[in-house]
Amino acid sequence: MPLVAKARSFLRNLFFTRRAEEDLDQEVRSHLQMLIDENVRAGMGRGEAERAARLELGGTEQVKEQVREKRLGNGLHAVGSDCRFGLRQLRKNPGFTLTVVLTLALSVGANTAIFSLVNALLLKSLPYPHPERMGTIYTRITGSSGASDKRHNVNGEQWDLLRDNVPALTSAVSSGGTTGVNLKGGSHVGYVHDGRVSAHYLDVLGLQPLLGRNFSEDEDRPHGPKAAILSYSLWRNVFGADPGILGQSILLRSEPYTVVGVLPQGATTPLNADVYTPLQASREGEGRGTNFSCIIRLRDGVTWEEADAEINHTWLSRAGRYELTDNPGAKVNYHSVPLKKGQTDSLRPQVLALMVAAGFILLIACANLAGLTLVRMMRRTREVATRLALGASGWQIQRQFWIENLLLALVGGAFSVGVGFVALRELFLLLPEHFLPVASVPLDSRVMLFTLVISVLTSVLFGMLPALATRRVDLRSSMVHRSVAGVGSLRLRQGLIAGEVALTVMLLAGSGLLVRSLIHLETLPPGFHANGVMVEKASLDDVRYHDPATFRKLLDESTAAMRQIPGVENAAVGLNLPYEFTGNDWITLSDGKEAGHQGGVDWVYVTPGYFDTLEMPLLAGRVFTDADGPNAQHVIVVNQSFARKFYGGANPVGRYIDKDTLIVGEVADVPLSSGLDPVAPLETEETMYVPAAQVGGPLLALLHVWVQPNWIVRTAGRAEGLTAEMQRALEKADPNLPASGFYTMGDLLVRTLTMQRMEVALLGAMAALALLLSAVGIFALVANMVAERTREIGIRMALGSSIGRVMFEIGRSGVAASLFGVVLGLLLSAGALRVMQSVLYGVGVYDMTTSLFVILTLFAITLLATMLPTLRIARIDPARTLREE
Amino acid sequence: MSAEPTTLLQGTLDLLILKSLATGEMHGLGISRRIQQITGGTFLVKPGSLFPALHRMEEEGWTSSFWGDSENNRRAKYYRLTKAGRKQLEAESKRWGRISWAIAQALEAS
Repeated sequence: MPLVAKARSFLRNLFFTRRAEEDLDQEVRSHLQMLIDENVRAGMGRGEAERAARLELGGTEQVKEQVREKRLGNGLHAVGSDCRFGLRQLRKNPGFTLTVVLTLALSVGANTAIFSLVNALLLKSLPYPHPERMGTIYTRITGSSGASDKRHNVNGEQWDLLRDNVPALTSAVSSGGTTGVNLKGGSHVGYVHDGRVSAHYLDVLGLQPLLGRNFSEDEDRPHGPKAAILSYSLWRNVFGADPGILGQSILLRSEPYTVVGVLPQGATTPLNADVYTPLQASREGEGRGTNFSCIIRLRDGVTWEEADAEINHTWLSRAGRYELTDNPGAKVNYHSVPLKKGQTDSLRPQVLALMVAAGFILLIACANLAGLTLVRMMRRTREVATRLALGASGWQIQRQFWIENLLLALVGGAFSVGVGFVALRELFLLLPEHFLPVASVPLDSRVMLFTLVISVLTSVLFGMLPALATRRVDLRSSMVHRSVAGVGSLRLRQGLIAGEVALTVMLLAGSGLLVRSLIHLETLPPGFHANGVMVEKASLDDVRYHDPATFRKLLDESTAAMRQIPGVENAAVGLNLPYEFTGNDWITLSDGKEAGHQGGVDWVYVTPGYFDTLEMPLLAGRVFTDADGPNAQHVIVVNQSFARKFYGGANPVGRYIDKDTLIVGEVADVPLSSGLDPVAPLETEETMYVPAAQVGGPLLALLHVWVQPNWIVRTAGRAEGLTAEMQRALEKADPNLPASGFYTMGDLLVRTLTMQRMEVALLGAMAALALLLSAVGIFALVANMVAERTREIGIRMALGSSIGRVMFEIGRSGVAASLFGVVLGLLLSAGALRVMQSVLYGVGVYDMTTSLFVILTLFAITLLATMLPTLRIARIDPARTLREE
Repeated sequence: MSAEPTTLLQGTLDLLILKSLATGEMHGLGISRRIQQITGGTFLVKPGSLFPALHRMEEEGWTSSFWGDSENNRRAKYYRLTKAGRKQLEAESKRWGRISWAIAQALEAS
């Protein structure tokens, strides 16, 4: 029974506060009335009776408060009323509240967005069953200059051995990426992404087809039957979700493939293809090089150590150890790593660097908020003193402040989720499709929890400093003095500003270096004329074009048709264009004192008009002509880097390579994305150009699996609106050849520099945010000084000080703090930014231009942020200020 | 703020209130006057102590309350003992008896 009574009271106190309060009020008032009655009966006058009664009661409010304190659930109730009071306080200071909430929303929002990337890329498991049993293989090279430990693609021999001699694993390989191919199914002709995979690829991923089956081992043998598995979206969009699709034939690469399966809805693979076909890997052709990407799944009852031992045993016994050829004297071994790590390792440094930058933003925000709340606490000294005088305990006062901070943090945190969501969406608009190795970057419960924790942590961080600083304040004396903002608090606030400016300097310097690096890459001497060039890509991964004669006919007819387009000056075809990733070959010099020298070079086939269309300067000899046909002398054109590397800069024209191939010309270097020795995303490299007419059938078949050739035209005026006519010209030569895309040279440049542009955009946004927050911080510091010292300023101006002089005196505090921060930031940057070395191109870590830019930017911002609030000084009327007291 | 500063007196107040209510239902002022009367004026219970104690005891389930009319036709809140309250009075009385006996013994010892 007592327990029930207790629970009832507790609930009543919590939820029916109003009724309990009315009851209490009535009770105390009736008590007072009865006391008065009693006194009147005792013979007192009306007034005296009332006074005596009130004296005995001791104040209705105090009595009620004493009852309230004894009530059950009083603690909870007090927090509730603190919250209400806090909200009222925050509503009463909309400027302060808005500043704090916006600061939190932006800074925590930035963290939410970046953390959701970290979450999606590094924390979340892959969307496959038992992801912990999935992996890929790393090659560890030690004891040579090229020491490394990373994911390597594998060649045909490695794949054979892995498949047959490592029973601990279910293994599979796929093409490095998808291949663009032309699909003809029923009346539909279209360009689709084909993922070429080995037999057990879907088993490793743990995917079961919705219809049909996986590829059989027979279908994966070289020259085996041609089969296809459709993705769910292709099955639905192109084949109308036809349940009888199995066994039907579709045309891919102009060859019939039998549909054997359909993937379930939402099934993703690392390839993300529209249609899957058997890889049919061998040690020949594609399998000669390391062109296959491998994934593995540990079988039940086996450990990763056992699997690693088996991999090493079989791969170390190979005939061709290319790793040793490339790194003489090195020690090479292999080990498995989780697939998640293998897929995201290359992005890890960038993502973590962004997380650090986001952490900086949070610290800057905390410094600002600490300053703001410190000032607010000082301003509320009188309120605090009043409450203390009315009997509030120190703890109650502190609790009130903490609750207000927490309220701010929660409101800011709620907004920050919105900010994070918008930021992520913008980020995705920036990203090319399939740029990230994950299907989505969700704002899931882990991200939400992170946001909540960060928000609360922020409120503790920015609330702690003011709480500590004000604990020493003598509230009694502050009642008298009106203001407590002493020298100590100013120093503290200046320290906070200096700290946040230092962090801003680091972010600004970092993003400045990235911008400089991007500018360097985008303004590399092009070596050709990019304006007025339009590019059309189409897939020639087609059995018809394995025949060189058909291929030549297509090139001749299509380029001739494109030249007929009004306004088109020239047209050509090239396997690769400047700025693109370029394949390579191994050559041997055949004459002179360099005879026998070998080396890798980038390799591009082109039609005769290629150099003229791109307007690449010819430095020596001649370019190709129609006479350089299949049966004529094999000729090549090389670039300047080629001549420099192999002939020490001497004229290469007339020299022979690979026994009988004659160099007939030398052209200028163009920037490209190297497949040979990538030290930068764009660089110039030794390159040989080959007449498209002299390329053999097997090589054409192989090249076109990986690369879609480019049709290029040069126009004098319009580059837009041209695409439809280019496509018509191509269709004249082959009606079944859809374009996969149209590009300007600028588009290709952007595509190659996606990562660099992302880095600049993200870090730049962070630096801008940091700058904004710092400006707000300095502004608040100075504005508050003006407000606090209005009286002093009035006196000084009354005594004859000029406005300018006073403005200088007041503004000095902000400028000094900022200056100190800049110096500190530059010193820190000198140490910290060294980690950026590997992502900088054409600019060093110690870059004068960047430093100057940072210093000038902060100088301008500081000046602006101090000037604006000091302008108020001009409006101060000394006479009025003096009268005010 | 309270006029009776020790925990012993806190316990005493509870006991005195329970004892006053043992004779029948009573409002706050009545209890206060009754205590004054039965202790020969030794304890003057101020509302600041009385009301918190009354509310606490009601939450404990020792008393229940209702609104009624006072002898002078004022609406007043009346309290009465519950079953638990009677038990509590018994227990408290026994405890107090032991304590006062012990204290008396201690003071008599030479």
